[in-house]
Amino acid sequence: MENTILVKNFLEDTGAIDLQIRLVAGGSGLSREIRIGDINRPGLTLAGFYDFFAYDRIQIFGLGESAYLRQLSDDDKREVLTKFFSFDVLCCVFTHDEEPDSLFLEFADRKGVPVFVTRKDTTRFISSLIYLLNEAFAPTITMHGTFVDVYGIGVLLIGRSGVGKSECALELVERGHRFIADDVVLIKRVDESILMGGGSPLLKHHMEIRGLGIINVKDIFGIRSVRDRKRVELVVILEEWVQNKEYDRLGLEEQTYPILDIDVPSIMVPVRPGRNIPIIVETAALNQRLKKLGIFTARELDRTIQENLMRGKNIK
Amino acid sequence: MTEREVVVKSDAGVHARPAMMIVKEAMKYPCEVKLIKDDVEADCKSIMSVLGLAIVSGSRLVVRASGDGEAKVVEMIVTMIENNFRSHEESSQKN
Repeated sequence: MENTILVKNFLEDTGAIDLQIRLVAGGSGLSREIRIGDINRPGLTLAGFYDFFAYDRIQIFGLGESAYLRQLSDDDKREVLTKFFSFDVLCCVFTHDEEPDSLFLEFADRKGVPVFVTRKDTTRFISSLIYLLNEAFAPTITMHGTFVDVYGIGVLLIGRSGVGKSECALELVERGHRFIADDVVLIKRVDESILMGGGSPLLKHHMEIRGLGIINVKDIFGIRSVRDRKRVELVVILEEWVQNKEYDRLGLEEQTYPILDIDVPSIMVPVRPGRNIPIIVETAALNQRLKKLGIFTARELDRTIQENLMRGKNIK
Repeated sequence: MTEREVVVKSDAGVHARPAMMIVKEAMKYPCEVKLIKDDVEADCKSIMSVLGLAIVSGSRLVVRASGDGEAKVVEMIVTMIENNFRSHEESSQKN
């Protein structure tokens, strides 16, 4: 899916990160589309070097650019801005609360190029902006599964419908874990190794339980039982117990499940009546935490046994 | 794999009841059934998944199934959507 975002989205709620910006000119261009998640510092361009001018990116005017514009004579400034705005510039942001002068605003208004001013300093602003752009342009996939935060590990339960994913999540919520999404899990690759999962805004905190219908987990169990997003760290594949199928008995090898080209640690849990799946998921999450700390139980036991065997051999 | 495209004409779109009808129909068959809208796939056997697509009047959908009974289930769901979920409601009223 190709992502595009509109310039005006920056004025709206940007979630946890506030860009602290206000629009000062070029309101007519607010519906322009941002297609690239990169930015440009136009210092060299203003000074006359127009090769490689990435006009289709967000232009960041820091203290340097503002000072350069300020020291130009009116005629020179008019010349520089005429050239600058002859390109189809996407939008401009002035940092450090440095509002551009009226000539700049006039050019921007005429060309419909949105101009923003932020109270943040350049480095902070760029890091916030890059974070938001990365999020917006991150590859996304919708998965059929149930997503729960178990002891701080984001556990994605997948399996055929009717295998008991939602019931398992409900039991986990009852045990104090936090529910994120049921059935429709939106997963974003926000970094080369990080997958973030959340629910669809429409279905937020709702869950379907056969026999009960649709319930709202937040209303029933309270605010502490839900969260909006979490890193996907473990995939639990639930499947009906198949007689004679080989299931992992040792856990020596680490299984993975690929999501958006990232291999996420996974376990396959066979389900049959009477088997307490939530406690298996809880234990799997705790085991995953141990593995993150470098403690690999199955391998350690194996090593101890091997050492013991070696010792026994030497005594003989 | 069988798939067919269908446009939703029902004014109210696919709200809870029509979604349930689709899910009920899909549940009758052992095969995997998907409903696709704008590249977003939903599992036809999950009511939340179908509701999550936010299908409004005019939405273009693809019904895709693979496995036992795939042709039949695609046919049934497409007909249901084309008939604006009406014939099924009527037949259930008669029962």
